[in-house]
Amino acid sequence: MSAAIVLGSNADALVAAHLLARAGRRVTLVHPRAFSDRPASWVSPRLRRALALEAAPAGADATWASALLPAGGTLELAQDIGRSVEAIRRLSPRDAERWPQFCERMAALARLLETLYAEPPPAPLDLRLALRVRRLGRRGMSDLLRVLPMSAAELLDDWFECDALKGALAASAIAHLQQGPRSAGTAFRLLHHHVGCAPGVFRPARIDLVAALRERPGVALRAQGIERILIKGGRVTGVALAGGEELAAALVLSAEDARRTLLELADPGWLDPELARAVGHVRRRGVAARLRGRARHRPATAVLAPSLDYLERAYDAAKYGRMAEEPALEARYDGDRVEIDLQFAPYRLADGPWDGAARARLAAFAASRLPELADAPLSVEAPPDLEEIEGWPEGQPFHAELALDQSLWARPLPALARYRTPIEGLWLCGPGMHPGIPGAAGEHCVQALERARA
Amino acid sequence: MTGLAASLKTTPLHERTAALCASHAWRRWAGYAVASSYELSHEREYHAIRVAAALFDVSPLYKYAIRGPDAARLLDRVVTRDVSRAQIGQVLYTPWCDARGKVLDDGTVARLEETTFRMTAAEPNLRWLEANALGLRVTIEDVSAALAALSLQGPQSLAVLRALGDVPPLKYFRLARTRLADLPVDVSRTGYTGDLGFELWVEARHALALWDALMAAGAPHGLQAAGLLALDVARVEAGLMLIDVDYVPARKALIEAQTSSPFELDLAWAVNLGKEQFVGRSALAAEKARGPQWQFVGVEVGWEGLERLYSQAGLATRVPQTVWRTSTPIYSGNEQVGYATSGGWSPLLKKYIALAHLRQPWANPGTQLDMEITVEHRRRRAAVRVVKKPFFDPERKRA
Amino acid sequence: MSASYDALIIGGGHNGLVCAAYLARAGRRVLVLERRERVGGAAMSEEVFPGFRFSVFSYVVSLLRPEIIRELELPRHGLHILPLESTLTPLPNGDYLAQWNDHDQNRRELARHSLRDAEAYDDFGLVLHQMARAIKPILAMAPPDPGSLDPRELMDMLRLARYFRGLGDKNLQALWKLLTMSAAEYLDEWFETEALKATKSASGIIGTLLGPRSPGTAYVLLHHYMGELDGVFRAWGFAKGGNGAVSAAIAAAAQAAGAEIRTQAPVERVLIQGGRATGVVLEGGEELRAGVVVSGADPRRTFLGLVGEQHLPGEFAESIRRFKFRGASAKVNLALDALPDFTCMPGRGPHLRGAISVSPSVAYLERAYDEAKYGEISRRPYMDIVIPSMLDPSMAPAGKHVMSIFVQYAPYHLNGGWTDARREALGDTVVETLAEYAPNLKSAILHRQVLSPADIERIVGLSEGNIFQGELSLQQMFFLRPAPAWSRYRTPIEGLWQCGSGTHPGGGVMGASGRNAAFALLRQRR
Repeated sequence: MSAAIVLGSNADALVAAHLLARAGRRVTLVHPRAFSDRPASWVSPRLRRALALEAAPAGADATWASALLPAGGTLELAQDIGRSVEAIRRLSPRDAERWPQFCERMAALARLLETLYAEPPPAPLDLRLALRVRRLGRRGMSDLLRVLPMSAAELLDDWFECDALKGALAASAIAHLQQGPRSAGTAFRLLHHHVGCAPGVFRPARIDLVAALRERPGVALRAQGIERILIKGGRVTGVALAGGEELAAALVLSAEDARRTLLELADPGWLDPELARAVGHVRRRGVAARLRGRARHRPATAVLAPSLDYLERAYDAAKYGRMAEEPALEARYDGDRVEIDLQFAPYRLADGPWDGAARARLAAFAASRLPELADAPLSVEAPPDLEEIEGWPEGQPFHAELALDQSLWARPLPALARYRTPIEGLWLCGPGMHPGIPGAAGEHCVQALERARA
Repeated sequence: MTGLAASLKTTPLHERTAALCASHAWRRWAGYAVASSYELSHEREYHAIRVAAALFDVSPLYKYAIRGPDAARLLDRVVTRDVSRAQIGQVLYTPWCDARGKVLDDGTVARLEETTFRMTAAEPNLRWLEANALGLRVTIEDVSAALAALSLQGPQSLAVLRALGDVPPLKYFRLARTRLADLPVDVSRTGYTGDLGFELWVEARHALALWDALMAAGAPHGLQAAGLLALDVARVEAGLMLIDVDYVPARKALIEAQTSSPFELDLAWAVNLGKEQFVGRSALAAEKARGPQWQFVGVEVGWEGLERLYSQAGLATRVPQTVWRTSTPIYSGNEQVGYATSGGWSPLLKKYIALAHLRQPWANPGTQLDMEITVEHRRRRAAVRVVKKPFFDPERKRA
Repeated sequence: MSASYDALIIGGGHNGLVCAAYLARAGRRVLVLERRERVGGAAMSEEVFPGFRFSVFSYVVSLLRPEIIRELELPRHGLHILPLESTLTPLPNGDYLAQWNDHDQNRRELARHSLRDAEAYDDFGLVLHQMARAIKPILAMAPPDPGSLDPRELMDMLRLARYFRGLGDKNLQALWKLLTMSAAEYLDEWFETEALKATKSASGIIGTLLGPRSPGTAYVLLHHYMGELDGVFRAWGFAKGGNGAVSAAIAAAAQAAGAEIRTQAPVERVLIQGGRATGVVLEGGEELRAGVVVSGADPRRTFLGLVGEQHLPGEFAESIRRFKFRGASAKVNLALDALPDFTCMPGRGPHLRGAISVSPSVAYLERAYDEAKYGEISRRPYMDIVIPSMLDPSMAPAGKHVMSIFVQYAPYHLNGGWTDARREALGDTVVETLAEYAPNLKSAILHRQVLSPADIERIVGLSEGNIFQGELSLQQMFFLRPAPAWSRYRTPIEGLWQCGSGTHPGGGVMGASGRNAAFALLRQRR
């Protein structure tokens, strides 16, 4: 039974570790931090079967987003298309008419993306990919070619007139991305978040892979810092832990981000300097702060993104290294606890450090928009804090920004997209790898590795 | 307004070289104007290299100061030779490669102190060095402009130096830090002529004083300021390759076929595969195992054949007086088996010689081939023979 | 009236003229119908002020396809392109960044700002050269329709896929980056000098309502390297006599081949009978008939204006309605009593023979864009300036000069709309901005002409004043230009073709659309 080491404290690390263990390897999972991750959005049926995971709780009548309207009240977007139509009709009868057709056309594209996400990334000129694209039919194909490169704003402006509806959709298209709704390629992100959802749902149900796998037997867990990855003659030989202990293994999977793995944990001298340079160029800027506290429960995720321009202006600030005066807000409720993302809040502030005043501004903003917040103070985690707590590089939960140029066969960059590194025995399986959905990269990495060894 | 009008950079020695440059013939070298020849013909300058002493301004070389605890490690990552084992005062000639094992540049690495090195290069390499320095404790400084370089070459060169100060006995490819004419100078026993010779590294502000002292001290020894045309003849005789002429650096190659590995450039001796880690190592190991496709060799044009071609045209035999740099096909029968990249008349050897890239098995010494030459507007083929490099290799070079 | 022509060409812009010339050379009877009193469209020279001639709209010759110059023998018809020698970027701190054609001079100047950038410049140039080489054949290609089941289109699609595969992984990956990244982020990977990144990224935003940080703008960086491939050293230049001379040469070539040109002949609509285009009706009622009608007008004017939605399939009409124009550029033409005296580089020098780019930093350009995207004129705009009289003295009276200033951003959809006052305010902004770098400018101005996107639309008929007949963004390129399934110069109306910049490859005074359209048409009818 050969030994393998998995590095990381996220869902991908857990998935990879358990799949390797299931394949008969002796697996040690070294996690430098407490496990935590963004809850998974979609788990492929195959992974679900492989790890015997329970299906996501279905809730046909659930509301997936409750968009806060500037004049008070909410726009409730529901799993059920009919209910959304009714809600939208109160704001725009024209948009209500169009909603079902929009949902149908987007769902067709998301289904294609889903097949691409269910396996390692396709080659750009893969014939199977071409055939799949053609299977969309003429209209689906023109939709795809048009939608992929376009901006969320253009796509939504094509379809709708209601600012609140467009804002709520665009907010998910730019979540955790250093781009605004007018940036080309953000329409693709809307589809990304649509993968695995029912038609009409653009914010996936939450499946907590970490919770499901953390306690599972079969994998040895070591809660310890990682000093470096040991390499001899271009081959991995193990991992040195903080404190000096060395674990030997010929196979190491890292769910840490590519830059940390290859340029900090491994000796970069093993890489082609051109590749090292490209790794250093992977963009991974965190753009959102996370606030946590207590609040009266709301049944649905609240979204504050009243218009495309609202989001665009929030992004404008981030371009120059400033916190948005009026950030986009997403609040998720769990019992009396609430977790709020505020975007844009850049990792590096141009005009000073992330100090108490900067954090207080974010807390004050959230309090001013969410009356249900309790009086108890909110904890504010700026991107540098998230880097510390969650291990998200620069506070970026996707490890590599999920922009079009860092997606699919180019995620996080073309030479590494197949999970394999130039260092024999060292593989990448973190959220920075294709497809950028928690757990999926862990699965694909193990699949690619087993295939390479077969 | 400087830098505005189209103008080339001038070296720290320009004030002197310009005054001497009776030919008004200048050549570009790394963005600098450097004399092609000082006199109307480069002939005397060439002969000075072989019988007396010649002084060249080689300041346009790129020079990098590399310092820090990991300086040797950085250089070992970059170049193909073993830098860590070099002694203080040792100079290594070495190529360096990209990850595909293709030569990016060639130059020297001098170990000045335990953790201080100076690298010379034909091309800018700051970015490349920095890209290789990830995670290392090392500083890289471009000292190209701060440091002037003079090359003193020829059998009398040592005598000229000794007239100016205390020069410790220096073996071939060794360096000493000393004072000449009371100026701090690093003297290395290196050069690009294949003769006894030295290169002098001096702060730019002292460059003119050093030049003046050398010219004065050298006069009794027949010292002659010499330009690039003379140098070109000497380096071909010495079998030394020139970047952009004899090989295309991998960074500038538009297609794979334009690149060369060190093995293909006759630099196998400079590739140390015993080092665990350096850029291009695995590609070079693989190439060594399968044997290189190309060899870089010398060829001599057979005089009788050449004479016959000219005489058929009713002409006396002509040979190129300066080194040509046009890629020239070489044939075995009707098959092109390679190409020559520089060649010309060796005034010393009285031979028409050239440096050539040949495919195996045509690269073995003694192989008879044909090289294309143009006689009176017509393409002809002259018989050439593959010979061992260098064409000229005097004892005094290493003694 | 009988069909006395094989082809009627709507619009005497450069693409219409190129198309006419190729059709006429193939023996077709061709008539070009131009609304204005002269041909050229936006490639037009005019003596705007007595003694001062301007390339009123487009002002440099960048990508005019060399095969067009050769095949139509344009130099014989008067075309002479003078090379642009440099680009000067004056900086607010009194320094400058210059880019020169001479490699050594350029490296020396870049090294003054950053040794790394001087070094990276060559590597960057090599990568872009390789990419340009990869892309070039695509410019001359009629894009296949990926959705078609027609065996011929399928074969073309396969050939295209094979071509791309032949480029190799490294090139494909580099191409993907160029297509999807923003110019600024792409350049961030190469360079550290702000002015260099800004000036280079500016080429990615020209003619588009996008900023240097907008994804999709990196691709246009390639255009600068495209010209070199044709062996045309220094491909960017001025036409002697201004850009009108380009149109005049093409028109002369077309006429020499037998094409007829009628000016002051505005087309009111395309005649459609039984779903087929049979001719056109001119304003005033005259009907002209021909075997085919080729429109050089942009897609919106052609289909929603001259054809009418009622004749179009619903989905096609929807695509055309969605086709983005969003003109963002304006033009200011100055007649000068004296040359501008730049603080950073005083006096008359070679820098005045090249382009002058007001693009000190990426943030400067991005701010200019931020204002425009919410419907305002940039308070400090990006400007690309040339002084044609420095190269061609016939453009201005002796000792005097003409200055052409391309300005961005001046959005077509201006809050409150374009008025005379707003136009002049734009002119003031431009002069103020430039005077910060060349203080003598204000006193040297003899005359000033300001052209807003609304003016460009009104005068030359480009919808929303978009200089490319529609944004060159990824979703409006190649087989999506101007609409999916209709990128091969044909239209859903039998007998109606398109040849303007609104078709592949579009953009600039390139002429490729006109030539490709002519070839597609000739192949079809053989």
